[in-house]
Amino acid sequence: MVQQANHPLPAAFQLDEYCIEHQLSLGGFSIVYVATDGEGKRVAIKEYLPNTLALRSEGRTAPIIAEDHLPAFRYGMKCFFEEGRALAGLSHPNVIRVLNFFRANDTVYMVMEYEQGRTLQELIQKHRAGVTENFIRNVFTKMLNGLREVHSHRLLHLDLKPSNIYMRNNHIPVLIDFGAARQTLACDTPMLKPMYTPGFASPEHYSQRELLGPWSDIYSVGASMYACISASTPQAADSRLDKDRLVPAMVRWEGQYSDQLLETIDWCLCLNHRYRPQSVFALQKALTEPVVAPLPQPKATWLDQMVGKLKKSRNP
Amino acid sequence: MKFTIYQETRTGKRANNEDRLAHCYSRDSLLMVVADGMGGHYFGEVAAQIAVQTLSESFQRQGTTRIRDPFLFLQTGMLSAHSAILDFAGTHHLEDSPRTTCVACLVQNNVAYWAHSGDSRLYLLRKGRILTQTKDHSRVRLLLEQGAISEAEASTHPDRNKIYGCLGGQQTPEIEFSRKTTLEAEDVLVLCTDGAWSGLPGDTMATALKTNALMRAVPTLLDQAEANGGPHADNLSMIAVRWQDTYADESSGGSSVISTRSMPRDTVTTRLDEFGRNPSHKTELSDEEIELAIEEIRSTIQKYAK
Repeated sequence: MVQQANHPLPAAFQLDEYCIEHQLSLGGFSIVYVATDGEGKRVAIKEYLPNTLALRSEGRTAPIIAEDHLPAFRYGMKCFFEEGRALAGLSHPNVIRVLNFFRANDTVYMVMEYEQGRTLQELIQKHRAGVTENFIRNVFTKMLNGLREVHSHRLLHLDLKPSNIYMRNNHIPVLIDFGAARQTLACDTPMLKPMYTPGFASPEHYSQRELLGPWSDIYSVGASMYACISASTPQAADSRLDKDRLVPAMVRWEGQYSDQLLETIDWCLCLNHRYRPQSVFALQKALTEPVVAPLPQPKATWLDQMVGKLKKSRNP
Repeated sequence: MKFTIYQETRTGKRANNEDRLAHCYSRDSLLMVVADGMGGHYFGEVAAQIAVQTLSESFQRQGTTRIRDPFLFLQTGMLSAHSAILDFAGTHHLEDSPRTTCVACLVQNNVAYWAHSGDSRLYLLRKGRILTQTKDHSRVRLLLEQGAISEAEASTHPDRNKIYGCLGGQQTPEIEFSRKTTLEAEDVLVLCTDGAWSGLPGDTMATALKTNALMRAVPTLLDQAEANGGPHADNLSMIAVRWQDTYADESSGGSSVISTRSMPRDTVTTRLDEFGRNPSHKTELSDEEIELAIEEIRSTIQKYAK
């Protein structure tokens, strides 16, 4: 089904105890608004409104849901609750906080903290020349603190990408949009429609969803770091499986960034999930390791290193 | 390529939906497939799923480059779906192999190519008229052509569901190919299953899809077909695409026009439902369950608010 535009609630609309200021973003599944609460504090409110199932025309408050779409609409609501549950139990400076959850206008709303800033995606777009090594190490090490917290709750984010990493104005990254998050241990939801972003989703996302694990989020972290440098979306994993045209970071940017960072990126982007860092902790360790001054190296080293790495991870 | 596309499938009044449909497109080509499965238990669904999935996958494999021989592509796709269904029957020791109709259409360089087997149809509509349509591989169609029965008799004929062309049957499927057909701006291609066309006169369809936005017109047409199907309405499915050379701004459709020129060269977009039960089959959340879920989330928020 093709996108159809849902009309946002108008400015100054009183929604529960909140007053809508303006629309922040519009997705296929929801609309996000900036609003102020009773005390005048700004919040972000996410409205569940899948545009394939519910249509709000201009000037209306409640969406129109065709009767035969109602079961699917309610079913999708389950996924929205899933996101709420995932976030409600997490309290971490690098993970977006949920402040409230309520029902109104025949749908449901999730209230989240709001701070001035922009997504990493917007930052990359602005710095097309590429970002510095320090920037990458800094942002990702901090962001990984949040991801570690997520994983320790037996949750996977499953849709990590630069546009889901929000950079507060004080340069603290925050993980947002847990719309794809799933409780890994609750496997009774095989019908949930897989949601992922080509280029950032791991190979497991596409076909072997039973193999999804922390390493799948780690692939997305690698792809995000790669995208930070290239300022474009990496080749999608399913097409890499077919014909891998993703130039290893080590080949593409040798000399511009430390070998150690580039190797780490390539490590995360291994197609075989067992060859990637198996935990966020392992990846963080690699990112915070002191950088050794690059030694003069013979040509084709990256290949040797890759082969060496593969060997290493085969026989840990 | 610029086009708007809409697809929808409904169970009708049947216990399950054995129709499957999919469309995928890359920068240069668009593929649409509709299949209507037949067979005991849920195996008709499997056959139909295999058909749309096989064709979509082969499109994904070669679709990033232009397809050299579209008819060969359609033929190979449909024949490999046929073999895959037979393989499925073999592995599961089914006495009677499930079967499915299939109609598939590929558009590339403004030219449409289509092929079908069975009684799922393709219509090409131009300026509110049917320019051409596929001929069903059914007994009734033959009788009608021989003049043995009238249109009116055909719609109530006891054999109207008997078809002789399909994928997965004992014989090699009969696949009929169209001619290369150049599309003009505003042309509409409709692929649908018998549940949809049997309740809809072709002219009604052509008039309804002449100018109206597809995402409104198609559901309305399906409503009508479903109503005409009565208390035993069959599964009904339809994909409609409107070809556009210009950015015709659909007043309320928003940004519904797909322009593949902005797509990366190596991307294929696919709309194919995952196999398994349709989410709408699942028991829905009751009001109490919603309240409960919200309550639970709120109390968790409270707990971690400190």
